[in-house]
Amino acid sequence: MIATVARQQFVALRRQQIFLAVLAILLAMTSLAGFLGWMSHHTVVQAYDEAVRILAAQGQPAPPDPLGLKPPLSLLSNLAVYIPLIGALLAIVVGHLSLADEQAEGIGRVIFTRPVSRTTFLFGKVVAVAAVLAAILAASLVTSVASLVMVNGSVPSAAELGRLGLFYGLSWLYLLLFALIGMVTVLATRRRSLGLLAALGVWMVLTFAVPQFTSGLRPTASLNPVTDPVSTSQPFFGATAHARSFSVSEQYKQAAAQILETGTAEPWSDTGRRVLPLLGALVGVGLLTGGLARRHDFSTGPSGD
Amino acid sequence: MLGPVPPPVTPPIPPAIELHGLRHAYRDGVEVLHGIDLTIERGEIFGFLGHNGAGKTTAMNVLTTLLVPTGGSARVAGYDAVTERDEVTRRIGYLPADVRLYGHLTAAENLEFFARLSGLRHPRAAVTETLDYLDAGDLADRRLSSFSTGMRQRIGIAQAVLHRPEVLFLDEPTAGLDPLGVRQLRRTILSLNADLGMTVFMNTHQLSEVAKVCTTIGVLNHGDLIYQDSIEATTRRFPDEASLEDIYVRMDAVPT
Repeated sequence: MIATVARQQFVALRRQQIFLAVLAILLAMTSLAGFLGWMSHHTVVQAYDEAVRILAAQGQPAPPDPLGLKPPLSLLSNLAVYIPLIGALLAIVVGHLSLADEQAEGIGRVIFTRPVSRTTFLFGKVVAVAAVLAAILAASLVTSVASLVMVNGSVPSAAELGRLGLFYGLSWLYLLLFALIGMVTVLATRRRSLGLLAALGVWMVLTFAVPQFTSGLRPTASLNPVTDPVSTSQPFFGATAHARSFSVSEQYKQAAAQILETGTAEPWSDTGRRVLPLLGALVGVGLLTGGLARRHDFSTGPSGD
Repeated sequence: MLGPVPPPVTPPIPPAIELHGLRHAYRDGVEVLHGIDLTIERGEIFGFLGHNGAGKTTAMNVLTTLLVPTGGSARVAGYDAVTERDEVTRRIGYLPADVRLYGHLTAAENLEFFARLSGLRHPRAAVTETLDYLDAGDLADRRLSSFSTGMRQRIGIAQAVLHRPEVLFLDEPTAGLDPLGVRQLRRTILSLNADLGMTVFMNTHQLSEVAKVCTTIGVLNHGDLIYQDSIEATTRRFPDEASLEDIYVRMDAVPT
């Protein structure tokens, strides 16, 4: 039964134009991340070669190659920006579309007069959504590896591939959270458009508002040389700084930076702790989705939009 | 010495639908069904009549397991609609008013999905057979988003009867159909009843259709069942009335 529901969802998603449009944007942005990395790499190499040539002409020794000091995966650092933006939007669309027809079009009325429980039905939908997101990220992973091969001229090492896999695994969990948010808002609102708007509102809060509150709210930060500890010593700013530990989007970016070796090095245990808010949010939103699906009144007809 | 062997005792076949003191109140406290008692025998085509807001759709939602009533009991094909939901849903088909299936899927894909949900072993064969039965095979590979109301209705009926239910629920099935569509639907209902022995429970406002299709009728007035009898008995009982519409108006006007 779960496979039946999931298969229906695959076919329906494949034919939704909005899904295909956002998917194309995400894959284009992944390619762009690789292209930007390549451009940056190319420019630095040119400047370094020129500097070496000039220094050699002056009889001076050449400085070390700056790119040799940078980890290879740092070329993909923009991915940690694009995935919370375009990827999360795509996940919301996938989650929204997975239940919109059943709720807003009234198809749930027909489905739940069949011998299928709401839990089974919802589980099938979540399986489909999770698989679709995994497939999307797999396509992005292939694009990323291709970019690395083009830029570095060699296949990434096993360790680098492992880090890439870890990064995409983390991203999958992150996108799954937003897909569940897309599902929750469909169940919590009566109108199709309102459900999508509500999900986008949550996305904006988590992606932009909360980081502004936790990291951006440092009133003395622009007054050099006054440093953070002064501002955070005040109770209010201390609280906002602590709240950063619970900011899902910021912790995702920090963990992604660690995995891709673009941030300040920290122990793996610290990186692991950064994933906890995301896991907590996943469990919370998952339970909320299940609760709403069980209580939702599917006996009403189409609600418009 | 043993006496003659008594004939085997076969348990009586339960009625298609039994309502006992069925009540339902929505969350705002408004009670829309005030304790309905109703029995519909197998093989009947039952027309459920009543003004807008009388509670017909609420009663159908209870019978199709979409709503849990706040009082009384509802049994379909001998099973309780609340405590034996799986048994009931295996035995019913449902066509809601304003049917909307998945617009991005073709008719066949939609029907195959519902066939699988119903647990059919050979869903594709059931889809083909049902579409052929309803003379709608030409619609199989077209997406529903391109369908007219009449075409959607035919596919809606196909999804409702794919698994050969014992009781078929139709909510305002003629709404939005042109006269040709209404005639086609009437033929379909009659043949499903005659060929497959399906009991049909139909909410409708189309009294002319009720007269042509139904074998029994019930009239719901502000949540109370004020009348139930066969069409023949009804016309005998109200000989002075010119049409079923006049009878309905007279019954509906009875103060409760």
